Amino acid sequence: MTAADLERDAAPTARRSAPIARISRSALRDNAALAARALPAGLPLVGDVRGDAWGHGAHVVAEALRHAGVERLRGDDITSPEAAVAGIATTAEPNVDPLTVYGLPGGDLAARPALRLSGEVLATKALRRGEGVSYGFTHRAFADTRIALITGGYAQGIVRGLGNSASVTIAGIPHPIVGRVAMDVCVIDIGGSAVTRGAEAVYLGDPARGEPGIADWITATGLGAAELIAVVGQRASREYVA
Amino acid sequence: MTVLRVDLDAFSANLRAIASRVAPAAPMLVVKDDAYGHGLAPIVRRAWDDGIRWFGAFDVATGRAVRAELGADPRVFVWVVGTRDEAAAAVAAGLDVGVGDSALLEDIAHAAARAGTAVRVHLKIDSGLHRNGVRAEEWPAFVARAADLERNGAIVVVGVWSHIAEASDDEDDAARDVFDAAWSSALAAGLRPSLRHLAASAAAFARPQFRYDLVRVGAFAYGIRSAGGPAEADLGIRPIAALQSAVQTVGAGAAAIGIGALDGLPSTLAGRVDVGTPAGPRRLLHVDAHQSVVEGWTDAAPGDLVTIYGPPETGAPSATTLAEEIDTIGEEIALRVSPLIPREQVPPSRN
Repeated sequence: MTAADLERDAAPTARRSAPIARISRSALRDNAALAARALPAGLPLVGDVRGDAWGHGAHVVAEALRHAGVERLRGDDITSPEAAVAGIATTAEPNVDPLTVYGLPGGDLAARPALRLSGEVLATKALRRGEGVSYGFTHRAFADTRIALITGGYAQGIVRGLGNSASVTIAGIPHPIVGRVAMDVCVIDIGGSAVTRGAEAVYLGDPARGEPGIADWITATGLGAAELIAVVGQRASREYVA
Repeated sequence: MTVLRVDLDAFSANLRAIASRVAPAAPMLVVKDDAYGHGLAPIVRRAWDDGIRWFGAFDVATGRAVRAELGADPRVFVWVVGTRDEAAAAVAAGLDVGVGDSALLEDIAHAAARAGTAVRVHLKIDSGLHRNGVRAEEWPAFVARAADLERNGAIVVVGVWSHIAEASDDEDDAARDVFDAAWSSALAAGLRPSLRHLAASAAAFARPQFRYDLVRVGAFAYGIRSAGGPAEADLGIRPIAALQSAVQTVGAGAAAIGIGALDGLPSTLAGRVDVGTPAGPRRLLHVDAHQSVVEGWTDAAPGDLVTIYGPPETGAPSATTLAEEIDTIGEEIALRVSPLIPREQVPPSRN
């Protein structure tokens, strides 16, 4: 039994102390159909579920791809058992664009992000002008303000380098991440916004609705879309929604 | 084939180095996030056998996983409790709870009262990090309320704690003054805690006056030194993990290995670092999604093991040395490694 199994068995409820990656089955299905339609008719379709389907879950993505008429799936050492279960494993080179399937920058513009990453506000408090935040005090308050401690850190793929260079949204309003992202939490500046304990802070949502997206993270970190989303999906608590 | 090999004997040696360095303070081994990605169960089992009695678990799920492995005897400290359900679970599992805001103080006391038991609480002062913790101006009211709840039998305040920023010695000293004042204020409120804990790995090693009764050690136990800090040899620790991947194909002057960016190896490392090969250090040339390419060596062959990071005898840099090249810390390198990559304990775990 692995530690991950143990933790899952031990968890009484969803882990609200950790950010949640919510994956939309309908977005995956719609995106997979878009990606399949982009290829010439009659071409055998090969989907890519390596890296646990870039952290989205190989089983669920396999289902969406098959729904879109994808006959074969490319797995790897790690995810090939998933493809084997589906009976459609292949070593052929994938041709169904994963950027479109997952709704990431560089894919079909009509696709929408399939993974939504949110943390939760643990506490709010005052921060006075000149006071520093988090390790190394890489941020200092310009003026008196309020801050919120939210769940989510680099252990869940929220890259440490996002501190002082990315934002989350709460109820649609952006709030910058201030100071270094820690292993499991980070701090945001909420200014005068009425933010309460338990509020949802969106790290990765739908840019079409003004929420932060992977494109912001690529700019801030120099990392690629695939590795950013895969590490988040592999490390955060994952939930599936319709 | 890619694997994270974890040397439990090296881990034991690090624990010994830590215990002797911080004595008479007791070490609390921090095991959050699957023991920094090293695999929780074998790590806590070995640490318990080596005499570690305190475990820092961060959240309730991890705290319960430590209990599942080691039973009721160890002290297990958690400090983020997001919901009332988690508070109830923390009480039921007999965890020590770090409380850094007044709403959580009420939740945890409520959960204990409902369970008809008392929960052990460590009150957290914000000594300047401005993350979790109660601000100094709100501390007197906070400890007064804690004293009320203790008299009602819902909580027992056993500790006062904080985190420091490690931005500069002067600022850390200022934080320590805030911490000492908070301790005095807790005593003045009628509380009788016996445990003070302020330092994590770096400060616990470098600054004796920060050790108090308990020190929370994660990184150094896993042999992860601080970025920009003293070398492993100077600290008396060594990396316990080696991230290794086998050569898949050999081409002109290069070898492809089976680990890539989707396995958690940051693509920004390409061209910036050397990795360990059977012939010694070689440049990491490319990091693609599923594969990476390493500068070749004489007689390179499929199946040869390349070490991305590990102890010095592998010829590889440490996780922290990799991290320094991309402006981060060794912990992030370790924590990005995919949980899908198998962890192999050496010697094999006894359970």
